[in-house]
Amino acid sequence: MKRRIGVAVCMALLAGVVALAPGIRASSQESTTLRIAIKGYENNLTPFTITFGALPATNDLVHLVNDSLFWSQVRSEPEPWLAESAEPSEDGRVWTVRLRDGVVWHDGTPFTAEDVKFSFDYYEAQASSAGRYAHHVSDIPDYASSEVVDPLTVRLTFNEPSPQFKSMPGADLPILAKHVWEGVEDPKSTSDRMPVGTGPFKVTEMVADQRYVLEANDDYFKGRPLVDRLELAVIPEPAAAFAALRTGDVDMVERIVPPELLDQFRADPAITVAEGTRIESNQLYFNARKAPLDDPRLRKAMSLGIDVGALVDTVLLGNGRPGRDTFLHPDSPWAVSGGEHDFDPERANTSLDEAGYDQRDGDGVRLAPDGSRLDFSVLVSSFEPLDIRAVQLMAEQLAPIGVKLTAEPLEPTALRSRRQAPEGGGPPPYDLYISGLEAHAHVDPDALYYFFHSPGSRGFGGAITGYANPDYDALVERAVTADTAERKALDAQAQTILAEEVPAQVLWYPDGLYAYRPGAYDRWLSDLGQGIFTKRSFLTDYAPQPGRGPGGEQAAAASDDGGGGAGGTVLVVVLALVVVGALAAVVARRRRTASDEA
Amino acid sequence: MGRHAARTGLQYLLVLFAAVSLNFLLPRLAPGDAIDYLLPPDQSGAVSPEQRQELLAQFGLDGSLAEQYGRYLQGLARGDLLVSVRFGRPVGDVLGERLGWTLLLVGSTLVASSLLGSWLGFRAGWSRGSARDAGSLTGVMAVDSLPPFFVGMLLLVVFSVQLRWFPTFGALPPGSAEGVDLVVEVLRRLALPFVTLTLASVGPMYLVARSAMVTELEEDYVLMAEAKGLGPAAVRRHARRNALMPVSTVAMVGLGTLVGGATVVETVFSYPGLGRLVYDSVLARDFPLLQGAFLLLITGVIVANFLNDLLYPLLDPRTRHPLTDPA
Repeated sequence: MKRRIGVAVCMALLAGVVALAPGIRASSQESTTLRIAIKGYENNLTPFTITFGALPATNDLVHLVNDSLFWSQVRSEPEPWLAESAEPSEDGRVWTVRLRDGVVWHDGTPFTAEDVKFSFDYYEAQASSAGRYAHHVSDIPDYASSEVVDPLTVRLTFNEPSPQFKSMPGADLPILAKHVWEGVEDPKSTSDRMPVGTGPFKVTEMVADQRYVLEANDDYFKGRPLVDRLELAVIPEPAAAFAALRTGDVDMVERIVPPELLDQFRADPAITVAEGTRIESNQLYFNARKAPLDDPRLRKAMSLGIDVGALVDTVLLGNGRPGRDTFLHPDSPWAVSGGEHDFDPERANTSLDEAGYDQRDGDGVRLAPDGSRLDFSVLVSSFEPLDIRAVQLMAEQLAPIGVKLTAEPLEPTALRSRRQAPEGGGPPPYDLYISGLEAHAHVDPDALYYFFHSPGSRGFGGAITGYANPDYDALVERAVTADTAERKALDAQAQTILAEEVPAQVLWYPDGLYAYRPGAYDRWLSDLGQGIFTKRSFLTDYAPQPGRGPGGEQAAAASDDGGGGAGGTVLVVVLALVVVGALAAVVARRRRTASDEA
Repeated sequence: MGRHAARTGLQYLLVLFAAVSLNFLLPRLAPGDAIDYLLPPDQSGAVSPEQRQELLAQFGLDGSLAEQYGRYLQGLARGDLLVSVRFGRPVGDVLGERLGWTLLLVGSTLVASSLLGSWLGFRAGWSRGSARDAGSLTGVMAVDSLPPFFVGMLLLVVFSVQLRWFPTFGALPPGSAEGVDLVVEVLRRLALPFVTLTLASVGPMYLVARSAMVTELEEDYVLMAEAKGLGPAAVRRHARRNALMPVSTVAMVGLGTLVGGATVVETVFSYPGLGRLVYDSVLARDFPLLQGAFLLLITGVIVANFLNDLLYPLLDPRTRHPLTDPA
């Protein structure tokens, strides 16, 4: 009897909890609160405390709270933001920046030229703590000093001509509040504090690994944001994030929609899928310091054997653009035209024969002139199933030309440590690896320098592939100080060398397809290089009118496959029936045995 | 008795010391360090060795292994758990935020899976070989063999997405709820992770309970009880009490396993527990946080064991008899 009562109480509690559910759900419509699922927690959203983690960085959150002097337009002049204008000196070493009047920090302190001078000084002094931002001050361009001319004018001096100042670091570096950061010696230990920026949103709540609450900045210099409140929910599991979108628990997911979910979302009238490319890429890097991969002829032959179009069709289900041989994203202003990938297995075979890789072992794997087999392992992040799939496909593609590939999945930190050269010198202990790159790198005018200049005091060359070619070095070095037209010519030459010597083969440029609920907010802007979750999506001057947003493909796409969603529902219902049926069978059996016993 | 207590205490201290040292050493055996995590993937090899040292020093991770170990022990003695690399905040604060959620999820699961597992297990063991025993054994083993990730996703799709009974993520409701609303909302968010984790952890409990019951039924006292004419209910009560001992031991020792086992469930339901925190910290090579988290877990398991030791005499009067005391 006691047991019966216990069961009854439990059932009543459960029923109560369930019954309360609809009442609480109804409140989501009444204010302009937008709920967005984000991938991970980034501490208190300052340039010093965000962590990059396993996945490529997203700096969208930092730029919701902070501003830079300019805003990147990718293909045209950067738009003045905190700056009103910036004029270079004759030689391009000194930039005089005129600042916008009337900007205030979130705590009410006026923003002045002192803050800009302080920011550049501080980024340089804290180079080791400033993560990805530091190198735009301490590396290229090489910042020297600055002086405050008047409260709204600052003069920045660089050690060399810096013609691209407006885009990098101008449109990238978040400007810091001097009164907040002055005297902070260890900026990484400040993540307890609420961040103070000039940006369109103020942080009002942070719960580690759970959520942020951001509120509109009433005094924002571009006008009050169109949304009163942003609730950013940390949902680490992609499937759970998209489930939350389907139920309306969140209004937008800050992740690219996985190819297999696209049809389902396009068929759902409550969800819109919008294109907003972030200018990302995924590439295969060769260890250019390790024999036999230090031979550009071998790398080029392997590149010729890879069918990047098939990778896009099979791995991305067509939702991306095939990789080019010239590395840079086709939307990058610095990309040379006509860098389409050369897929020619026949030529690969003949050039391998000519280059001395003409012997094969019993398995059909070619031997290098030194007798070693062309049998390579590709390091891939164990969190990137698409990359693992890509290696399996490339292994099939390269088998006919006598090159063997095997995927070696590693967790990201272990992978990065494998990429480092051993302390005693010599090449790092890997053959190839796959890694992604985001917009920030592709639109950096000096990306070609950072990634493929030979290892040295500037750039990341040693950390990427160790590729070294003096001709290439000369081109990208000259490009640093060249004006735009000359830089384009130099970069074009440099990209031609990359296509021939292949330190890296871009596999694909993914389409930035994002899903949101237009019923909650329909003014998302496709901001080239930024995706759609960008601060300009919330600003009246930029956000498109409702219904005219980036989601125009919705109607056309909805008709091409209505079966995906229905199929999913059927599957779920069947599964549910199986589970319920099994439970019922067990219970019935219990009942019977129980009554037998009694 | 005093000598016994002193010896037990010393044993616990030794265990704690060994555990604390392993905590220090094990995470450092993995390749890579925290700096690889703090920097963007393409620059991690590009910082100069000096910058790397500077950053490591900020988190007390510079110097030789022996130096670090010395600092770690000194810090522990002062109760200082250092600063988390990933969060840039004191490890104690970060752990404190998670502890409540883990106690809620793992605690409720531990209670539920012990009760459910021993109830089903005792019933099955009592009628060993019967159809009911075979049925429940098959059923529990089938559930136990399902990966928790799959079970969690299935529950999420059915109960959150299709039926809309429960929210899809998180532990805290959005916005500001208070009082009864808050409690209800927190319970609604606990429901699916709790069910998933209970289903995932009931198997071992069931097996132990079942075999304990089977063993007890073969004891002479059961034969004696039956011989003197006690009804099945009374016999079962006797046997059950004795069979409880191994079950309570397994439950207490299972505490640590359960916190780790909760990782997958916490990931599926975006639940801010210690399991997920430890997992993320391993990826981040956040040694200070790992040391703190493991210390907390080990202390938890030791305390649970200690409670279990205290519980024994209550469950089984024989263990409080002076004759069975080894001292």
